[in-house]
Amino acid sequence: MRWRKELSFIIRRLIHRRRAERELDEEIRAHLEMEVERNVAEGMSPEEARTAALRSFGSVALSKEDSRAMWGFGSLEIFWQDLRYGMRMLLKNPGFTTIAVLTLALGIGANTAIFSVVYATLLRPLPYPESERLVWVSERAPNFSVMAISYPDFADWRAQQTVFEEIGVYNRGSYNLTGRGEPRRLDGALLSADVFAALRARAAVGRVFNKEEDSPGAQPVVVLSYGLWQSQFGGDAGVVNQVITLDGRSYSVIGVMPAGFTFPTGLAFPGRVDCWTPVGLLANEPMYQSRGNHPGLLGVARLKSGVTLKQARAEMDAIAARLEQQYPLPNQTIRVRIDPMLDTYVGDAKRALWTLLGVVGLVLLIVCANVANLSLARAAARQKEIAVRVALGASRRRIAQQLLTESVLLAVVGGALGFLLARWGVPLILAIGGDSIPRAAEIRLDTGMLAFTAVVAVLTGVLFGLAPAWQASRADVQVVLKDAARSLMGAGSWLRQGLIVAEVALTLLLLVGAGLLMRSFYRLQQVDAGFTHERVLSFKTVLPQRKYTTDEQRIAYFQGLREKLRALPGVEEVAFASNFPLGKNGNQKTFFIEGQPAPPPNETLWMDVTTASPNYFRALGIRLLRGRYFTEQDNQDHLRGRDLSGLSEGMRRNAALNAIIVDEDFARRHWPNGDPIGKRVRFNPFIGPALTVVGVVTRVKLYRLNEQGGFVQAYLPWLQSPSDGAVVVIKTRLEPERLIAAARRQALALDPEQPIYEVKTLTEQRDISLAPERLNLALLSGFAAVALLLAAIGLYGVISYSVTQRTQEIGLRMAVGARSSNVLKLVIGQGMRLAVIGAALGLLASLALTRVMKSLLFGVSATDPATFATIPLLLVVVALVACYMPARRATKVDPLVAMRYE
Amino acid sequence: MSKENRVEKQTRVDLLQGTLDMLILRTLLFGPLHGHNIAHYIKQTSEEVLKVDHGSLYPALQRLERRGWVTAEWGTSENNRRAKYYRLTKAGKKQLLDETSKWERLNAAIARIMKPAGEES
Repeated sequence: MRWRKELSFIIRRLIHRRRAERELDEEIRAHLEMEVERNVAEGMSPEEARTAALRSFGSVALSKEDSRAMWGFGSLEIFWQDLRYGMRMLLKNPGFTTIAVLTLALGIGANTAIFSVVYATLLRPLPYPESERLVWVSERAPNFSVMAISYPDFADWRAQQTVFEEIGVYNRGSYNLTGRGEPRRLDGALLSADVFAALRARAAVGRVFNKEEDSPGAQPVVVLSYGLWQSQFGGDAGVVNQVITLDGRSYSVIGVMPAGFTFPTGLAFPGRVDCWTPVGLLANEPMYQSRGNHPGLLGVARLKSGVTLKQARAEMDAIAARLEQQYPLPNQTIRVRIDPMLDTYVGDAKRALWTLLGVVGLVLLIVCANVANLSLARAAARQKEIAVRVALGASRRRIAQQLLTESVLLAVVGGALGFLLARWGVPLILAIGGDSIPRAAEIRLDTGMLAFTAVVAVLTGVLFGLAPAWQASRADVQVVLKDAARSLMGAGSWLRQGLIVAEVALTLLLLVGAGLLMRSFYRLQQVDAGFTHERVLSFKTVLPQRKYTTDEQRIAYFQGLREKLRALPGVEEVAFASNFPLGKNGNQKTFFIEGQPAPPPNETLWMDVTTASPNYFRALGIRLLRGRYFTEQDNQDHLRGRDLSGLSEGMRRNAALNAIIVDEDFARRHWPNGDPIGKRVRFNPFIGPALTVVGVVTRVKLYRLNEQGGFVQAYLPWLQSPSDGAVVVIKTRLEPERLIAAARRQALALDPEQPIYEVKTLTEQRDISLAPERLNLALLSGFAAVALLLAAIGLYGVISYSVTQRTQEIGLRMAVGARSSNVLKLVIGQGMRLAVIGAALGLLASLALTRVMKSLLFGVSATDPATFATIPLLLVVVALVACYMPARRATKVDPLVAMRYE
Repeated sequence: MSKENRVEKQTRVDLLQGTLDMLILRTLLFGPLHGHNIAHYIKQTSEEVLKVDHGSLYPALQRLERRGWVTAEWGTSENNRRAKYYRLTKAGKKQLLDETSKWERLNAAIARIMKPAGEES
């Protein structure tokens, strides 16, 4: 065992270190003395003999150092020495060390923070076993990229497919939990039993539901989330088999999921999930029975091992094509969309996150350039020390290694501080980003992230340490020792200037990026959303179908609520609708224009439809362009006396409809030349009612302020088709926040079992919809500001160093009559040349690179001339200020003092 | 660089670390020696072709001792000076044998390329 022998050698040397040193000294001294004796014996004079002996020995110091190196762990030992030496050097220069460490902490901390977000959202597998085989399934049509799944279609897919181990569907749902104190709104999900199987999810307590429980006649069961179990049931395992009341119906609790489990989640389904119920319980309801209805269901499936996404897509599309032949009307042109699960969790956030990671990478590069520059200046000041070490026999490699060790040490200290910064920065990012950051709960700064920080720190140290190390390894000892003041500057100055140019160029790139986002955000806020968000409070409430069974009951509840709310002081208007602008939910319907030919199958007409009470438009300030708003007369009175008993529930629901309000887009597109008022629209070309257009209103932004295009919009009269759930909007004369408590009280007074939830002002709602843009803007402009500061510091450093170097020259110029304005011009000119070259390069880089930001921009081109013109100006002004300070100092040079200066 | 230095460069050959180790082991084959002995032994036997900085000997000796190929103990030199004597160990002999045969094979191979048969001068 050779390594054992070696280890014992090292340990012996370690224990008897002093003796070993002494013996080595003695051994070498003896050698030299013997050599001297020998030389004398050969006839040399004692002096000659001594010189010759020393020459033939070479560097004694080096020989000893190399010998000692054999006693330890080799390079590790040297590294340790360098480290201690470096530590001393850094402590000796507290000014330099502080600036460098803070700069590095900022750069590395920013990278750690952003990377921890990128890692948790984009890189880490989803928290389900073998999650790479999980896919997300929906339906699609030629002009409808993601369509919810119709339940009968799902049933056929499940029966016919061979590519998935399991395929299930889910939908967000919510329940009123009653019978346990104040009624509470639970956010839940409806799942088919296959979803648990596909996710490989097991209950922590009890069990999840099975196929038998996932069917229409079954006894209702519910699985609780860990969070709900803790908050509402005190974490009592006895909850299993208890019965709870959801929407007035009894559900047996059969299990509790583990703490980390949540589904669905991600960008499309942010927020909490409290409980899961079987979707199959609803399978007999008309909205689930009708193949043409797509009631918000989405699919999740687990690919069989070895089956590719492509194969799955091919088979599912083939099944969809068969269904189209079987059911031509509802399934016309409908196919299946399948995406990797992770992609759908992350959605649009992907592009922004990668861009941000690129941005912090650039910031780190700027940090490197800056610290490299500082180190170069310091290395120039240390030339003498280095030259002496070289003269004493240190190899250039050793010197370079020493300097590199110092740099890495600096970076590691900066990195440690940076990690702390990130611990503080990540919660800040999450606070700004809100729900726009998918998988936010999975973001953590753990040991893995610490390892990332360590690697980044070491790489950073090497990167910025290369310049001074390289420079020192080239230093000419003779010259340095003779003339310590200026020699290295010649060699180093182009390097330092090059670094500044690069720094300025990168900064400009970041500033342009930030500028574009800023303009884009401004544009976004100027967007006319088509409604007034000021002084509107909104909340949601959903009536249980078991308790409010008829339209009359539902209308009575909401009319009662309206009366109660209108009685509150400061309330101008109270209205209801199925959904509201800039919300997450919407409802789409296909339609036909009476008197116009039916569109070809792949150009099916879709509308975004909102059911709204008469005063909804006034409450939200949605302007009327033609015709009229709905009135209290747009109700179900016209059905009186008609026998509807032969109709299914779905048809009965539609039968009451006879009026429709369309948006300007709708009118323009379908009746470009005529008056839309009085024209008729149908949902089914053959059966059901025809709806008469009674009004045309302005278009609103239904989902996001930056939405463009999209389906035409229409409104149906609330009183003809009251839904169970509604958004209630209250237009106030005062600040709407003041009404929150009162509104809640009034609602509970009307029905103490009916909770209201998501109580928000529309201004808040609008702010929430801007969260992703706000996050991008905040981060990118924050980083750009840091970059600008660094570039200014860098420029200042270089110019003021060069002023110091040129003190003598400047003094001479002033002695022969140069005015301070000449000197000012000279110094500032030097700095501005660098700034302008950097800015020019940065502009070129920006032209090439801002294209990657295109998808993050709104209403601004990636090469927006205004941004490209103003940002370089800003940079030049900052550069001017950074150069002015050292330049002014240069003008204060006293020629007499300067000439003596050395 | 002075002219004298350049002449030296032409006639003397710098040693690689491994070669120096091998030479030291070879030198110690006939009995324990101290550092100064070794330096001159190598210089003389190579007829002054091999240039060994005496200083580079000591790190090499430490390395050989660390590897367990030599052991060291203090003794008294020819002219009554305290000196450290290095002795070849069993492992050291084996290492020398390995190195020698490797070196011979290498040498023969290079010789075949540099001086093909029939080109005897």
